[in-house]
Amino acid sequence: MRCVRVWFHKTGPIRYISHLDLMRTMTRAIRRSGIDLWYTEGFNPHPYMTFALPLSRGMQSLCESMDIRIEGDASNEEICRALQSVMPEGIRVTAVQEPVLDPKFISFARFSVAFENAADPELLRQKTDTLLSGESLIVQKLGKKGHKKVMKEIDLLQSLQSYSLRVDGDTLVLELVLPAGSVSNVNPSLLCDEILKLDPGAYYVITRQALLTKDMEIYA
Amino acid sequence: MYPKEVEKLLPLVQKPGRYTGGELGSTIKDKNSVALRYAFCFPDSYEIGMSHLGIKILYAVANARKDVWCERVFAPWHDMEEEMRRHGVPLYALESGDPVKDFDLIGFTLMYELCYTNVLNMLDLAGLPVRAADRHDLTPIVVGGGACACNPEPMAEFFDVFSLGEGEEMYDAFFDLLKQYKTEGRSKREFLLAVSKLPGFYVPSLYDVSYNADGTVQAITPRDGAPATIQKQIISDLDHVQYPNQFVVPYLEVVHDRVTHEIMRGCIRGCRFCQAGFLYRPIREKSPDTINDQCRALCDATGYDEISLSSLSTSDYTKLEPLLDKLLEWTIPEKINIALPSLRVDNFSDSLMEKLNKVRRSGLTFAPEAGTQRLRDAINKNVTEDEVMRTARKAFQGGWTAVKLYFMLGLPTETLDDVAGIADLAQAVVNEFYRNPDKPKGKGVTVSISVASFVPKPFTPFQWEPQDTREMLLEKQKHLLESIHTKKINASFHKVDISFLEGVFARGDRRLGKAILWAWEHGCKFDSWDDSFRIDVWEEAFRACGLDPLFYTSRRRDFSEVLPWDHLDFGIRKAFLQKENEKAHRSETTPHCRIQCAGCGANKLNGGNCDALRQSLVS
Repeated sequence: MRCVRVWFHKTGPIRYISHLDLMRTMTRAIRRSGIDLWYTEGFNPHPYMTFALPLSRGMQSLCESMDIRIEGDASNEEICRALQSVMPEGIRVTAVQEPVLDPKFISFARFSVAFENAADPELLRQKTDTLLSGESLIVQKLGKKGHKKVMKEIDLLQSLQSYSLRVDGDTLVLELVLPAGSVSNVNPSLLCDEILKLDPGAYYVITRQALLTKDMEIYA
Repeated sequence: MYPKEVEKLLPLVQKPGRYTGGELGSTIKDKNSVALRYAFCFPDSYEIGMSHLGIKILYAVANARKDVWCERVFAPWHDMEEEMRRHGVPLYALESGDPVKDFDLIGFTLMYELCYTNVLNMLDLAGLPVRAADRHDLTPIVVGGGACACNPEPMAEFFDVFSLGEGEEMYDAFFDLLKQYKTEGRSKREFLLAVSKLPGFYVPSLYDVSYNADGTVQAITPRDGAPATIQKQIISDLDHVQYPNQFVVPYLEVVHDRVTHEIMRGCIRGCRFCQAGFLYRPIREKSPDTINDQCRALCDATGYDEISLSSLSTSDYTKLEPLLDKLLEWTIPEKINIALPSLRVDNFSDSLMEKLNKVRRSGLTFAPEAGTQRLRDAINKNVTEDEVMRTARKAFQGGWTAVKLYFMLGLPTETLDDVAGIADLAQAVVNEFYRNPDKPKGKGVTVSISVASFVPKPFTPFQWEPQDTREMLLEKQKHLLESIHTKKINASFHKVDISFLEGVFARGDRRLGKAILWAWEHGCKFDSWDDSFRIDVWEEAFRACGLDPLFYTSRRRDFSEVLPWDHLDFGIRKAFLQKENEKAHRSETTPHCRIQCAGCGANKLNGGNCDALRQSLVS
């Protein structure tokens, strides 16, 4: 038995399936691939599968990873090819590697957000720039206090590590880095919803570009 | 792929994965290379529709034709409907994202009566008039099929055509005809006249219904050369009919998310309350080799880790044990679970139990249906208390600690003693658990009783019977709860209001179309969902339309009465049903079809053949 890390993209309509749905989808895909999976021993054997950092529903990603345990002596390339041939539309396996870092080393994530359908993309760029370069941007967020759910106020600009804006045709593209991982995690949609208030006719698509360590190195 | 306008709506709704399409196994074709576009609509949520085996079969059959592209459409949930209406997005098909109103053929599966308002809502959301008479063009032509097509009269106003029976072999003739008439630029009326001459297709607008002074049907008269009766079409050989080699695999968790395999059609039992048991006759079995091969192909193609062997009574499948032997050979190493729904208590053998123990254990469910032997005899549920106890004992010895029992309230001839009998039977099962010397230590037993309300249905011996009123049913529910004296028995009941409405439509006539339209116009939809069901609006609808719902539910019909579905022939002779009804009132049983053919008449649909008959002659 050995553990491999499967890297994949999740783009297009399939971004609307939840993390739980993705796990089921992946289990079935692996079964179709014929890869010799390792199963837990015990009353109800199941395959071992763990994801670095669950992706919010609605987001695309170019940096998803899933660790699985396998039996047999298939090479990483063979496993990669087998998985590529069975994935549903929108999931593209890019590499299969030995895991390097434990998911607990993830501290940040880099996102790109495409704002579509803006009335005036350049105007929206300017307004967004003003918003993001301000002193603070306080939003309400549903958080947990023990087991209770409470509304919390957070300052998004405190969490925003860096950002850049550009207009690409009719699309406004925002790139940003926010805390991500088990210690501190900020969902970029909180910030994007604030930007939408500047142009209610627009909508956005978020793509997670990379997961980063505390030193801003790429998680591998 | 959904239309671009939908992109904005998806973040606003629950479970957007219902509306995106793109699932593994869905069929994508070039729309310019097909002659007919077919929107296969299921008038309920995605999760319910995607669990339905019939859709999977017919989707594969239709798409096997190069000139047809069949796509799926489900009823959008309340939140999505609201967004679609607000943003002017019409109902679209999941595969192409194209508007349903541009399709040539719109097919609805009518699985239960309470989906009727959803049919109207989906037509409206597509931008089409809901009444057939208001849709003047040849396409889209709106067709209904499924169990409720055996009495589609309440929906007659809204459909152009109903298809009676098993779709697998009826599709071709229909597609060919529609393709021809579309190419030739013929009118809708010409098409309807032609389709009414195809076997199994019922064009309701070609029949006039007249009524007697007391409100009963006087006559159903065909016009323009339409046949006097329309006969259900069946496939004769399950081994040689197309079965999908791929299922559309949903991303969302749906109700039945597994490989489902239909191993047999029809049922030998003849339980008098059971519409499916009569509607899907005659008996036809699929061979173990075919089932095994098809299950294997489906598991490979989908990656599912569970197979459900489905039929109306799976333990009556004559080759169940050889089939399980074949399946277990590869399902055990591949860690695939086999589920056997619809087992009967009376033929649950030791060796079957042993085989079931090799697969992952799920709950154990049995359906005695009634609490006393007298009532079980009246409904012809040929199961004795001894058999229930013997099975329970075996189950408990096999390590089960939870048993679910299904019952019905409101069965014809039922008394309060019969109701109390349900509690007694459940108590006896509890006692049986404690009698087992090897019972697991520290574990109690749970006996869940699920109690439905009986709704008389067409083409059953009880089609003439009055349905218990809601007041009577509530009284019986109360009596049952008072008869239970232990916390080890959990009882759950169906909502009586929902059963009442189901009863109105099950044996309804054309005049009910008005009430369906009124209720839908006043906001009724998803009526089978407790949270959406609004009995106050329905009662108002009947009042506004001058209809008395009790006329349809609570009245004992005379054997001589013309029933609204008398022009539809499902193979079962009316005289046979009457004889069975009379036997029920004498609490007399009828042996199942393998012991002795009861002469229901359904074998005429299959050239005189019936697998039950064939097997009884052999043995």
